Amino acid sequence: MRRLSKFLIRISSFISKELTEILRQPRLILTLVFGPFLIMFLFGLGYPEQNRTLRTTFVAEDPSTLQGNMELFTGSASPAIANQEVESDLDLALAKLALNQTDLVIAIPEKPLETVENNQQAVFVIYHNEVDPFQIAYINSIARIYVDDVNRRLLQTVTEQGQANAGDLQTNLEGAIAKTQALKQAIPPGDTSTAAQVTDLEKDLTTAHDQLATFRSLGASVLVNPFNADTKPLSSIVFTPTEFFAPAVIVLLLQHLSITFASLSIVRERRSGIIELFRVAPISAFETLIGKFLSYLLFEILLAGVITFLAVWLLKVPMFGHWTSYALAVVVLLFTSLGVGFLISLISQTDTQAVQYSMLLLLASIFFSGFFLDLRLMWEPMKVLAWSLPATYGIRMLQDIMLRGASAPALVLYGLALIGVALFFVDWLVLRRRMEG
Amino acid sequence: MNSTTDRNTGDVVQAQELTKMFGEEAAVDSLTLHVPRGTIFGFIGPSGCGKTTTVRLMTGVHKPTSGQVTVLGKDPYKFSKSDREKIGYLIQNFVLYPELTVWENLNFAASFYGVSLLGRAKRFNRLLEFVELKEDKGKLASALSGGMKRRLSLAATLVHNPELLFLDEPTAGIDPLLRRKFWDYFKELQNEGHTLFVTTQYVGEAAYCDLVGVMYDGKLLMVETPDALRKKAFGGEIVSIKTSEWIKFESRKKLETLPSVHGKIKVISDQEIELIVDEASTAIPALIEACKAERISIETIEEISPPFDDVFVKLIEKETNNEKVV
Repeated sequence: MRRLSKFLIRISSFISKELTEILRQPRLILTLVFGPFLIMFLFGLGYPEQNRTLRTTFVAEDPSTLQGNMELFTGSASPAIANQEVESDLDLALAKLALNQTDLVIAIPEKPLETVENNQQAVFVIYHNEVDPFQIAYINSIARIYVDDVNRRLLQTVTEQGQANAGDLQTNLEGAIAKTQALKQAIPPGDTSTAAQVTDLEKDLTTAHDQLATFRSLGASVLVNPFNADTKPLSSIVFTPTEFFAPAVIVLLLQHLSITFASLSIVRERRSGIIELFRVAPISAFETLIGKFLSYLLFEILLAGVITFLAVWLLKVPMFGHWTSYALAVVVLLFTSLGVGFLISLISQTDTQAVQYSMLLLLASIFFSGFFLDLRLMWEPMKVLAWSLPATYGIRMLQDIMLRGASAPALVLYGLALIGVALFFVDWLVLRRRMEG
Repeated sequence: MNSTTDRNTGDVVQAQELTKMFGEEAAVDSLTLHVPRGTIFGFIGPSGCGKTTTVRLMTGVHKPTSGQVTVLGKDPYKFSKSDREKIGYLIQNFVLYPELTVWENLNFAASFYGVSLLGRAKRFNRLLEFVELKEDKGKLASALSGGMKRRLSLAATLVHNPELLFLDEPTAGIDPLLRRKFWDYFKELQNEGHTLFVTTQYVGEAAYCDLVGVMYDGKLLMVETPDALRKKAFGGEIVSIKTSEWIKFESRKKLETLPSVHGKIKVISDQEIELIVDEASTAIPALIEACKAERISIETIEEISPPFDDVFVKLIEKETNNEKVV
């Protein structure tokens, strides 16, 4: 009993010390609580739910070859293409593109309709001045939409013309049917063979007439686009970018704060020399580590609570899952992140080194945790790196809980907890070695 | 060695041929010493001579390369928690937390040593009174002066009322008045029954100790009482004779031949000489008689204590000249 009470007293030394040290810095607390909240708020303001509109310059070097169909090429159904102007000089348009006065230059092929009539594809060359691979992918997709749109409208025009032409043909057929009927009556009664041939002819003409009637009765747009696709998510809710990224932002922030706090904790004590006192005093590496874990875990839970409150109640970030699942996922995430932080602290020689390692981990988490690039796109061997980061587990769990209303996937939760326990064990071994000199 | 033996011999620290090597270099070389219970043991030597390494060996921070050390009857490297609770260790530099107040730092140290929550406040007040920081208990440690920080460190070291205190250069970098005050604290602690092992590079502080170990270049040159240290340095005690007249050369030669006088007489001035004798108390009557016989009119005759700085320099000179001093 006495041993247990001393154990608890020793652990409490760190809990009160660490918490007092942190709480004595109100500016730090304020930054930690409102900083992330402000970042999320500004993120929401900065990225409204809109696609980028591209200022587009069309180039038709010889407009006469378009046979009066300029509108067919320069009018686009895509709101992403904003027709800025039509130029006749490609070099001038490209110069404007280089000067960022326009975003896209679409060179309309010379004599496009003639080319198609000659059984050849007419190629639109679309110029851009982007270096960002995501923007290039976006422009490629817009280019495909544009060309599909032009093709569709051209087909529609041709179809409409065909339907109009079919009207004359239909009238001719009606005349032919009437003449066939007259011919049938003029055939002598005994000439059954001729009568049968005329009856067949009449049938064929009637069928052709009916088919033309059907062709004319269909709308040209339906004929050109007989099928369409409509994507529907299982959930009826569509998230804004802020709402979608909020769980991941919370995870990244909590991981980063835990790692930074913990990574500075022991390295400072080693630098100041107080670790020597730890070696002489009746406190074990296990008690030291438990005390530090508990103190930071308490503080981080408090911080996570405030950040979550601000995100859910003020930023209206959705929360469809259970709060118990959320709390469990956050605690496991914090525990494991602290394990990483203490390991950094134990292997770092200086504060600067510890901060650098923490920043590297943050960077790795941004790129590899699925924060903005879907993990399913990642090369399989690299996924090992991704799943060695607490943030990867945290983002998966919080997105499932908050956005899908599901529980944290058991494998992900237990996997993260297992990493946390393993890290605690490694931290304990390393600290014990350090404390033994 | 077990604790019963220690209690019998009265030694709280026993080191035998204790050696600590860092690579090829011996930081502590074949150190043998005993620290009796209830004493102030001064461990004196220049910076880098191995004092801190010795303390680290005695507190279990370092493992000896060879030799043995027992503290309170146990191998410090294998101390149990209850053994550690009997030891207080003041590290050379201030290592408490600057963002905590004086009181909070004491609280941390107390919890750290497993001190019960009951009666803590009373003990803290008593300690702060002892180190004269009671009025500053709400101040952040970062706001304290260097001397106050050292006093806070001392209070934190005493928070669990240890039996044996290892104080590594507690007076380093503080003014002479405060240093004096620290030694007053140490004396009080000794009176309360604590044993103190104090390292210092201020040679003059040897005078406050019961026993002094002189360390130089990783080696323990000697362990003596402060008086015996002086004797060893100069070959005996020093007696100064001041006269009202000039002392003749022949008279000085006569005094040198006396059996209690060692070596040559040191002439300070025409009317003042210094002699090295075995025991000043027995030699002074004989010197007075001899002066009378030589018609030397003595103005004053007394034993003088040279400053420990001189003692230390003398001892180191002897060591570097390979003279046997122990």
